[in-house]
Amino acid sequence: MSYRATHLDQIEKRDTWIPIREHFGIGAFGTNAYRAKEAGEAVIGEHSELMAKHEELYAVVSGHATFTVDGDEIDAPAGTLVFVSDPAARRGAVAKEAGTTVLVVGATPGKAFEVSPWEESWREGQDAMALYREQRYAEAADVLREAVQRFPDSAGLFYNLACFDSMAGAEPAAVAASLSRSIELFPGFRDYAREDSDFEPVRNEPAFEELLEVTS
Amino acid sequence: MTYQKAHLDELDRIPVDQGLEWRPVRRRFGIQAFGVNAYTAEKVGACVVEEHTETTSGHQELYVVVRGRARFTLGDEETDAPAGTLVFFSDPAVKRGAVAEEEGTVVLAVGAKPGEAFTPSGWEWSFAAAEQEPEEAVATMRDGIETLGESAPGLYHLARHELRAGRRDEAKEHLVRAIELDPGFRTYADEADDLKELL
Repeated sequence: MSYRATHLDQIEKRDTWIPIREHFGIGAFGTNAYRAKEAGEAVIGEHSELMAKHEELYAVVSGHATFTVDGDEIDAPAGTLVFVSDPAARRGAVAKEAGTTVLVVGATPGKAFEVSPWEESWREGQDAMALYREQRYAEAADVLREAVQRFPDSAGLFYNLACFDSMAGAEPAAVAASLSRSIELFPGFRDYAREDSDFEPVRNEPAFEELLEVTS
Repeated sequence: MTYQKAHLDELDRIPVDQGLEWRPVRRRFGIQAFGVNAYTAEKVGACVVEEHTETTSGHQELYVVVRGRARFTLGDEETDAPAGTLVFFSDPAVKRGAVAEEEGTVVLAVGAKPGEAFTPSGWEWSFAAAEQEPEEAVATMRDGIETLGESAPGLYHLARHELRAGRRDEAKEHLVRAIELDPGFRTYADEADDLKELL
């Protein structure tokens, strides 16, 4: 179909996420919406765009939000546009009204758009996180072990696989192998790993120490 | 500056045609990764998305009705689009447009070409030049060509404003060059009351 019209309310939601890009099969830019059920709920989770290096434009479609970008608070009633050019800037938003909906568009300047791995592997990521929260670490790791076969360039999946394997008591070499791949894809994970309590079981293992010794 | 903020109501208003007002978003923020603009129509029945295709740019386009209500034309079909409606065109050749069904209707449009890095479209400069005095419009179009490089749409609109400014020889030269770059502009020129006499 060369054109389609849909109301935001008709797209099946995944928690707060309204997957617009996937719904339409858009291949030229990233776009999604997020809707908070309650006031006080995060409508845009705090994050940077260091991995994707996207410029991002947020549009408050309905309701009222408070954005935080690199520590600055931005009042954003419906109709507000917030553009974040620096991928390193930490950004997030909290709904001030129930049902606040924020549309986001993202892509990398100078580069053809590619679908972000997190979007394609969202289901596997959610399933694994649910198991992780239940402390079923080995099962969570097994879900991601299968997922990384399908998404071999997903830094986030490899990082979480390393976390879950570590918590499950897997061989340090296996943990280090997954963590090494995640760092290869996104060097910022080296710093995350230094602070991440999930790696306590392997923190003093030579293979792990060696990985984190390299100056990032 | 890592971020910028603006309310839709604070964006510049550039009248285009048939009650359509262009509210530049990409230009305002200096966005380089994708095309994005807002369009408003203050009156019922006014144009809120001009009838066009994306054949020249090859863009996929997503329209978001942010406020009010519009009636979209999608090829040979029409669809009612209240606030919150998304209309996506994957095929650049499909004719599209929209008319406001409520006062103050606002539509946000996002566009880019799959498989290619985004580059801004020359029409942004031509829209900006549309309501300017002839010499100012010529300067705007020259700035666009300097920013984006030589392109058929840029040269075509430069020729238009040069003709308005009485620079007939330059207008002819630039129109001929536009047609050299994209022969499709011959048809546009033939159908344009102002430019057809140059051919």
